[in-house]
Amino acid sequence: MIQSIDYSAVAVPLILALTAGLVLLLDAFLPARPGGGRLLGVVALGGVAVALAVLVAQAVRGGERRTFCVPPSLGSAASCSFVLDRFTLVFMALVLAAGVVVVLLSMAETSGGRVPVGEWYFLLLGTLTGAVLLAASRDLIMLVVSLELVSLPVFALTAMRRYDGRASEAALKLFLVSVVSTAIMLFGVSLLYGVTGSVHLDRIAAFYASGQSAAPAGVGQGVTTVAIVLVLAGFGFKVAAVPFHFWAADVYQGAPIPVAALLSVISKAAGFAGLVLILTTALASQAAVWAPVVAVIAALTMTAGNVLAMRQRHAVRLLAWSSVAQSGYILAPLAAFAGVPRDAVGASVAYLAFYAAMNLVAFGVVMLVSRARERNDLDDYQGLAFHSPVAALSLAFSLICLAGLPPGLAGLFAKVVVFRAIVDGGLGWLAVVMAVNTVIGLYYYIAWTARLFTPLSTGTHRSGSAPVAVAVGLAVIVTLVFSVAPQVVLSAVG
Amino acid sequence: MASMDGYFGSYVVVVVLLLIGVGIFAGGLFVNRMLRPDRPTPEKLMTYECGVDPVGEGWAQSQIRYYVFTYLYVVFAVDAVFLFPWATVFAAPGFGMTTLAEMFVFLAFIALGILYAWRKRVLAWT
Repeated sequence: MIQSIDYSAVAVPLILALTAGLVLLLDAFLPARPGGGRLLGVVALGGVAVALAVLVAQAVRGGERRTFCVPPSLGSAASCSFVLDRFTLVFMALVLAAGVVVVLLSMAETSGGRVPVGEWYFLLLGTLTGAVLLAASRDLIMLVVSLELVSLPVFALTAMRRYDGRASEAALKLFLVSVVSTAIMLFGVSLLYGVTGSVHLDRIAAFYASGQSAAPAGVGQGVTTVAIVLVLAGFGFKVAAVPFHFWAADVYQGAPIPVAALLSVISKAAGFAGLVLILTTALASQAAVWAPVVAVIAALTMTAGNVLAMRQRHAVRLLAWSSVAQSGYILAPLAAFAGVPRDAVGASVAYLAFYAAMNLVAFGVVMLVSRARERNDLDDYQGLAFHSPVAALSLAFSLICLAGLPPGLAGLFAKVVVFRAIVDGGLGWLAVVMAVNTVIGLYYYIAWTARLFTPLSTGTHRSGSAPVAVAVGLAVIVTLVFSVAPQVVLSAVG
Repeated sequence: MASMDGYFGSYVVVVVLLLIGVGIFAGGLFVNRMLRPDRPTPEKLMTYECGVDPVGEGWAQSQIRYYVFTYLYVVFAVDAVFLFPWATVFAAPGFGMTTLAEMFVFLAFIALGILYAWRKRVLAWT
């Protein structure tokens, strides 16, 4: 009657959730003092670090752990809702490492006194909990619940800077987009459940592998196709894929920069984790239906993102459209799933990991510059190499990585892996579209990099912030490691 | 598409029911308008507000603090949804102490929200 729960398997989300509660209590009961916010930041950072340490221990010990299982007596086989396998571990590591950087960036954001600190860290830890849970979810209900746990705190985080019109606008847009996408996805999920009679991904996969012999009377392929399209559309909103991309720039620009970094890395990684799980686990044998749709979406997403990024004058807006374009590159290998299932998923996850590292460097430096210059236009970066060379070199490195040029080997390796998967999967046209897009991307990444090294006389620059410097340093080190030894990622996902 | 009739076909009943509902409502109003004499006066056109002359516009402001109480109500309503079914089974054979303790863990998490609201002076009216 009572499920036995393997608490060591759920340790990572549990630690994050308990730290979130602790932060909320500390904020409520500690007397309000100047500098009290720093303590909360340290507690939050400690929580994420402990979770990361536990994760490393789990990875070292190896093996697959599963819990929240339905016994075989209630169906065909034992199905588990929470599975800690290699895919889960890679995604959890990505989310937690990005979480460390985002918490460090938050310390600078909250030190200004413009945002309520306790609520900020509580919501941030809530999002991280949702993101690590999502990677481990193996049933539709848990997937949807954890995706909501990722999304809901982000609306509030976006709106946290009170009396800021742009932030409120961004929060409202994000809220509406997210709620609509959840509704669409839930409809798709309910159809899937209606057809297959199961919420567990492995049972849905078994249903389709068996040729739908167990389908209710009168239910045809049409229902499954509608369900797949709806689920794809729902996740398309979350990862800002075309045609559901329009919210990205306004929301990223209006949100505080740590939240924009969170949206572009953690929230996006969570969206992709869910997408990969549903498509390649539950609907693997339906690849003929979804792979062409994913291919078209990927091609449109990378093109639209790159073309829109070329016109931007604002640093965060440029990064927003660039991250839309990068979403296209992450989606592209999934389209080759039918031909090379293992490589396709591996390439997608590897690209996501590389992208997360280099994108966080960019957001970190943008955060540093934005402290001195509120407007944060690309022109504000002119001559950055002359008054803060380390920051400028970091940003230049990350931009070159994002472009995929030789000094930034991480980006290059990521693109090569994706190209190989697409070509092996027989999607030559998609490889051509991606090559053209890489060239378009070069334009705005290089234009921005060139600005950093253009001399400019007006050199008033305020000193940076220690946590942000640490965050940028960590992200740069990870990107450098990925550049020198890409097999760290490639062997982990392969 | 013929095979889809069985599944989506069941939704036709919902649509038909909706149309009948709208039809009865709209038809009633329409017949009423056709049959009744129509002699408007300013008093008749005035919005009916419990027999008192209406005050102010349709867009009225209400105290924002009620909003917070609505939230707190939602917190309690949600835990009640879980408490009622739990209360019927926790003493049944096969459940026992674990089931009892688990509900209190859940309630502790809910209580965190109330505790937070209390410390942030949300519960105080003034």
